[in-house]
Amino acid sequence: MTRLANPFPGGDPLFNHGLDLTVIGFVIVKTLIVFGLLLVSVLLYIWFMRKVIADMQNRIGPDQAGPFGILQTLADGIKLFFKEHSTPARADRPVYLLAPFVSALAAFLAFAIVPFGGIARLGTHTTFLQLADPPVGVLWLLAMSGIGVYGVMLAGWSSGSKYPLLGSVRASAQVLSYEAAMGLSIVGVLVHTGTLSTRGIVLQQTWQNWHSFVSQWLWLPAIGAFVIFLIAATAETNHPPFDFSEAEEELAGGYHIEYGGIRFAIFYLAEFMNMITMSAIAVTLFLGGPSGPKLGFLNQGGWVNVWIVPVFWFLLKLWVVLYATVWLRASLPRLRYDLLMDLGWKVLIEAAFLWAMVTGVIVVGQDQHWNLWIVTPAAAVAALLVYGFLMMCVPGKRELEDIR
Amino acid sequence: MTEFYRQYLSVAVLIGAAALMFGAMLGAGRLLRPNRPQPEKFITYEAGSDPVGGWGQSNVRYYVYALLFVMFDVEAVFIFPWAVNLKSLGVYGLIEMAVFIIVLTLGLVYAWRKGVLRWA
Amino acid sequence: MTPPISTPSINWLAISPEIALAAAGVVMVMLRSVLRRRPITMPLCVVVAISGVVAAGAVEYRLWQVVDHHRAISTVAGMVRVDLFGIFLGVVVLGATLMTLLLSVAYLRREGLDAPEYLALVLLSAAGMLAMTTANDLIVVFLALEVLSIPLYVLAAFDRRRLSSQEAGIKYFVLGAFSSAIFLYGVALTYGATGTTSLTGIASFLAHNTLLDQGTLLAGIAFLLVGLGFKVAAVPFHMWTPDVYQGAPTPITAFMSAATKAAGFAALLRVFGVAFPLYRADWRPAVFALAVLSLVVGSVAAVVQTDVKRMLAYSSIAHAGYILIGFQTATSRGREAALLYLFVYSFMTVGAFAVLTVATRRGDDRHSLDDYRGLALERPIVGGLLIFFVLAQAGIPFTGGFIAKLEVFSAAAQAHQYVLLVIGVLAAVVTAYFYLRIAYTVLTPGEETSSAKPLETPRRVDVWSGLVLVACAALVLVVGVVPGVFVHWARDATFLL
Repeated sequence: MTRLANPFPGGDPLFNHGLDLTVIGFVIVKTLIVFGLLLVSVLLYIWFMRKVIADMQNRIGPDQAGPFGILQTLADGIKLFFKEHSTPARADRPVYLLAPFVSALAAFLAFAIVPFGGIARLGTHTTFLQLADPPVGVLWLLAMSGIGVYGVMLAGWSSGSKYPLLGSVRASAQVLSYEAAMGLSIVGVLVHTGTLSTRGIVLQQTWQNWHSFVSQWLWLPAIGAFVIFLIAATAETNHPPFDFSEAEEELAGGYHIEYGGIRFAIFYLAEFMNMITMSAIAVTLFLGGPSGPKLGFLNQGGWVNVWIVPVFWFLLKLWVVLYATVWLRASLPRLRYDLLMDLGWKVLIEAAFLWAMVTGVIVVGQDQHWNLWIVTPAAAVAALLVYGFLMMCVPGKRELEDIR
Repeated sequence: MTEFYRQYLSVAVLIGAAALMFGAMLGAGRLLRPNRPQPEKFITYEAGSDPVGGWGQSNVRYYVYALLFVMFDVEAVFIFPWAVNLKSLGVYGLIEMAVFIIVLTLGLVYAWRKGVLRWA
Repeated sequence: MTPPISTPSINWLAISPEIALAAAGVVMVMLRSVLRRRPITMPLCVVVAISGVVAAGAVEYRLWQVVDHHRAISTVAGMVRVDLFGIFLGVVVLGATLMTLLLSVAYLRREGLDAPEYLALVLLSAAGMLAMTTANDLIVVFLALEVLSIPLYVLAAFDRRRLSSQEAGIKYFVLGAFSSAIFLYGVALTYGATGTTSLTGIASFLAHNTLLDQGTLLAGIAFLLVGLGFKVAAVPFHMWTPDVYQGAPTPITAFMSAATKAAGFAALLRVFGVAFPLYRADWRPAVFALAVLSLVVGSVAAVVQTDVKRMLAYSSIAHAGYILIGFQTATSRGREAALLYLFVYSFMTVGAFAVLTVATRRGDDRHSLDDYRGLALERPIVGGLLIFFVLAQAGIPFTGGFIAKLEVFSAAAQAHQYVLLVIGVLAAVVTAYFYLRIAYTVLTPGEETSSAKPLETPRRVDVWSGLVLVACAALVLVVGVVPGVFVHWARDATFLL
C-alpha cells in the first residue's frame, strides 16, 4: 500500500485556535453523543445477540418487550435497579464498591479514541467526529484494557470469597496473556501506517476507488495481524469461546458472583462495552473505519456526504464485526484452560513477531525500491526457518511430562 | 495549555461524564432498592453450603505468567516506536529489531523448555 | 524515500567487550534450550563462557593500545567513554570473572548445581559491570547498575535448597532494588538541576553556569552517593553485606566482593570525578564520613565474628573504607591509589574465597572458625594459601596488600588528610588482629574429641581451582615484590578527562 499524507499531524484541529467556550461546548456535545451511542449500542447488542442466537438454535428469543422484544435489555436493566444487594461480610468494602466503577470507567474511556465519523466543519470550527485523538492513539486502548483488568481483579479479590477469586485470577492471567499478542499484532498495522494516532490510521485507509478495498484497507496487507488481533481481542474481552472468567459450569459466575443488582449490571455493561470497543478498534485498524464510497449523485462536500455517510459506513462495519462475535458465541464450545494459554503463548505471540518482522522487511523494501518479488518470499522463507528452528528447540509433550 | 494537552481535554470531560453517569446509576439503585438485611444474606457464596476456611488459594502458575507478561509488555514499549518510525530507520532498524526479537524469542523458548508454559 | 532518523555512530570496537560477554550469555541460554539435558551441555557452556571472557579480555588489550595512542574513545553519542581508567577496571572485572568461572566449575559439580544458567548469569552481570566502567552518562550508569545487579540477585539465591542462600537472595534483592531506586532519584534530581545526564555535559554546565538554588543538585549528588555507596558496601549502606556474602555460594561471594566493588567504584570515581569536580567541597565531607565509618565498623565488627565468610565480608567493608580514602582526596594521586587498591584487593579477596570454596565440604555451609581449625596442618598448601591471603589483606610487607595500603596512606598524607590517615592506620591494626586470628586458628590442631570434623578427608583440589589459587597468590605476591609496573599502570589509568 502507498502511504498517504496526514493533513492533521497535530491531532484534532478543533483545538488549533485555542480554547474558548464553543470548543468546550463541542467537546461536551461530542461526549454526550458518544455516551448515548455506546449505551444504545450495548442495549441493542444484547438484544441482537439473544435474537440471533435464538434464531440459530431454532428458538424465538425475547419477543415480549416492545416490537420484536427490542426493549428486553432495557427492561432487564430497570429490574436490576430494584434488586436488593448485600455486601458480603468478609468483603473489603471500599475496594468492593470501587471495582465495578473501575471496570465500567475503563471500558468507556477506551472508546474515546475510536473515529466514528469523518471530518466535519461547523461554522469556523473543523473537528474530527471522534472524541479524542491523542498522539499515543492505539496505546490508549492497551492502557485502558490494562486498567480494565484491575476492575476484574479487585472485584474478585475484595469479595473475600473463593469462586470470585478463582474467576478473577483466571481472567487476569488470560487478559494479560492475550494483551501481549494483541499489542504485537497492532505492530503489524503500525509498520504500515507509521503513526499511532487512530485518526492518522484511518486517514491512511481513505477510500479512493474500489481498489482501495484491497490496497488501502489494512485487512489484506496486514491479514496475519488481523487474524491475530481478532483472536486476541476475543480472548481479551472474555468472550466465548474464551469466557473463562465466568464459566458458569465451573465457577458459577466468576468474579462478579458476589455482586447483585445494579452493581452487577455495571459489570455486565462494561463487558459488552468492551466487546463493542474492541470491534470498533478492529474496524478502525483494519477495515478503514468510517471510510467508504461517498454518494456520487450528491455534492461531495455536502452535509450528507460529510456527516452521514462516514458514520453509516462505520456503523455498518461495526455491526458486521459484532455479528461475527455473536456467531462465534453461538457456534464454538469453550476451550480448555491450558489450551487457551498454549494458544496465546505458544502460537499467537510467535506468529505476531514473525508477522511484524516480515511486514517490516517488506515495508522497508518498498521504501528502498527493492524487488518485492524477491524480498517477500525471501523474508517469508527466512521467517519460517527461524520459526522452525525455534520449534525444534521447544520441548515435546513427553519431555514436558518429565519436568517437575 | 499546549496542543498536546488539549487533545486530552475531551478525555477529561469523558472521565467526568462517565464518573457522573455511573455514580448516578449506583445512587439511583441505592434509592430504589429495598433493604432488608438478614445475617444469612452476608455469608459468602459457596455453592449453597456454609463457607469453609477463611481464604481461597490459586495456582502459583498464574504468577509466573504474569511475570512473563511483564517481560513482553516491556518489549512492546521498544517495538511500538520502532514500528512507527520504521521507514526512517531503514535497514539498520530492521537488523536491530531482528536481533532484539530473536534474543527475546530465545528467552521465551528457554522458559518454554523449563516448563514455565506448562499448565498444571 | 523517507529521510532517515540520525542514529548515533557507534564505534563497535569500543563496546565489543560488553557484546562478547552478553553474546556468550545468550549463546549459553540457547545451548541450554537446544541441547536439553545432554551431558555435553555443561562442558560446552563452560568453554563458551571462558572464551567469552577471554575474547572480551583480548578486546580490552586492543583497546588499551588504541586508547594509549589516541586518548579516550567517545562513542554512542558520548554515552560511552572508553579511556584507560575504564579499561583498567574492566580488566579487573574480567579477571575476577574469569577466576569466578574457573572456581565455579568444580564447585557446581560438587554441590550438584550444574546449570548453564549460572554461567550465563555471571557473564551477563559482568557485561553490566564492564558497561559501568566505561559509562559516561548517568542513564548508562543506571542501566549498567541494573544489568549487573539483577543476575547477582539470582546468583546469590542460586543454591536454592540452602536456606541461607535464599535469604541472601531476598535480602540482596530487596535492598538492592531500594538502592537502585534511590540512585535513579538522584539521576532525576541531577537532571532537573543541570538539564543533562551526560557526565561531561553536567561538568561543562556547572562550569559555565551558576546555580541560584543548589539544593536540588546537592540532593541529587547525595542520592547518587547513597545509591553507589550501597553497591560498594560502604557503611552505613553495608547492612546487606555480611548476610549476603555469607549466604551466597562461595564463588559468587568472591565475584561480588571483587568485581561488583570494582564496578561500583568505577562509577563512583567517574561520576564524582568527571561530573562534580566543582562540588568537591560539598561531597568530600560526606565521603570522609563514609570512609571513617566503613573503616571503623568494618574492622571492629569483623573482630567479633565467628564465621569466616562473615569476617571476610566485614573486612571487605573495611577495604572499601581504604579505597574511599583514596577517593576522598579527590586528587589524581588518590585515584591512582584507589585503582591500585582495587586491583590488589580483587585478587586477594578472590583468593581468600577460593580457599574457602575448596576447603569446605559439600554443602558449603560450614565456615565457622572452628571448622577451619587445623586446616594448615592437614592440608598444608590450602591452609598456607589461606594464611597468605589473610596476611596480604592485613598488609604484611612483600605482599600487594602492603603496597596498596602504602599508596593510600601516602595519597592521604599528600592531600593533608591526617585524620583519615590516622584512622586508617588504627583500622589496619584492628584488622590485623582478626586476620592473625584466622591464621592462628588454621595453624592450631583441632580438639581430638570433636567428632564432626568437616575437613577430615583432605581431597584433591581440582586443576581449575588450583589454577585460580596459584594465579591469585602469584599476582598478589608480584605486586608486593615489584610494585613499580603496577603503580605505573594505575597512574596511567587515573587520567580521567
